[in-house]
Amino acid sequence: MPAVSICTDSFLLPAQAMARAYGFPGFEFATVPHPIASLDTEQIRARARGVLPGVLRILGLES
Amino acid sequence: MEAHDSPLADPAEIRRAMEYYADRGWTDGLPVVPVTESYLAEFLATTSRDPDEVLMPMPQLNRQCTVRLAAINAALAGCRPDYFPVVLAAWESLTREEYATRGIWQSTTGTAPLLIVNGPVRKRIGLNSQGNVFGSGFRANATIGRAIRLGAINALGLRPHQLDQATQGTPAKYTACIAENEEESPWPPLHAQFGLDPSDSAVTAMIIRSCIHIEARHTTVPEQLALDITGTISRTGALIHETISALVVLSPEHARLFSRAGWGQADLSEFIYTRAVHSRAELAAVGKDAIARQTRWRLPADHPDAVPDQAQASGTPDVVRVLNSAGAVLVVVAGANNAGVSAVIETFGPRGGPPAVVRVADPDMKQSERSGNTT
Repeated sequence: MPAVSICTDSFLLPAQAMARAYGFPGFEFATVPHPIASLDTEQIRARARGVLPGVLRILGLES
Repeated sequence: MEAHDSPLADPAEIRRAMEYYADRGWTDGLPVVPVTESYLAEFLATTSRDPDEVLMPMPQLNRQCTVRLAAINAALAGCRPDYFPVVLAAWESLTREEYATRGIWQSTTGTAPLLIVNGPVRKRIGLNSQGNVFGSGFRANATIGRAIRLGAINALGLRPHQLDQATQGTPAKYTACIAENEEESPWPPLHAQFGLDPSDSAVTAMIIRSCIHIEARHTTVPEQLALDITGTISRTGALIHETISALVVLSPEHARLFSRAGWGQADLSEFIYTRAVHSRAELAAVGKDAIARQTRWRLPADHPDAVPDQAQASGTPDVVRVLNSAGAVLVVVAGANNAGVSAVIETFGPRGGPPAVVRVADPDMKQSERSGNTT
């Protein structure tokens, strides 16, 4: 199943290091602004809306 | 200058080697000792273990620390070869403790391993158990702790800003290795508390968050001192999970204060366990009066993921214990016998069971171990 990994921008460097550790140096992540843990429901929804175009692009669905 | 006065090594070459190691990212920021095959062989000669034996697997990173990699990093760190059996026991203890292999070294929490060494090996290799025990000045303490950090960096790939995601980390990440002051302790040493013979040498590794200084020169009443220590252990900033844990490192003076009053280590642990509590209102004031459904981290009761903590379901829901049992507080003795100064080590995780005490292989036993006569 096609999947996209999402992380906050603060975790992009470690995420890329993890991808290199697994032999996928060019692996693309969709990122959202940090933080996540302290957000309320509406703020989380806004993050989800914001990242969706990036997710679709990585999946190859951009129009 | 006569030929026989010439230095055996060119200082510029030594600097070049050190710069090479730094440029490759093989250091903790401080200079390391260049390692040759022959120098590595001196370390490997102190153990009967196969150089390819895996000491710490880290499958989530596609890495592992083997005996050989541990030896290379011990040499880089500045260890003498005869320290290496202690370094091996430290790796084994960390693997048995499991927090490292479960990923805590990648965490934003920013923990460090603390090594506590017991038994005759302390004297044999010059480990400091007395004044400035957490400080600098002693090669064995400084380099054995550093050997683990360099192994984490080089063998496991845990570099900051990459796979080590620590938000701030702790100064203990450079090195954290103490010996227990068994000679000035009124009580059994740590390894003997957990089944080893006092004549054994042992390493007990514990993943720690921080080391907090307690200065208490004001009292000779054991309950007052115990409550002072308890107040530090139960601070809400440390109360991340439903319960937490601690290692109390008493100076000899403080240990003797308790001992004179008839307290053993278990009595102090039990006292702390029963007194380390918060009222529900105190926890609500800092937004920690409930726990998360999945992670069991503390959060406000009105959070969407909140579920009641165990205290809520007890007969005294307004009294919330910080510790899961008396066993979540361990007590050792270290430092100079010169003042009422002790420390609380904030250990990672709830704990409560026995720590990972690992015997240091006796170098004199090497031949018999080779022939299969292991204990």
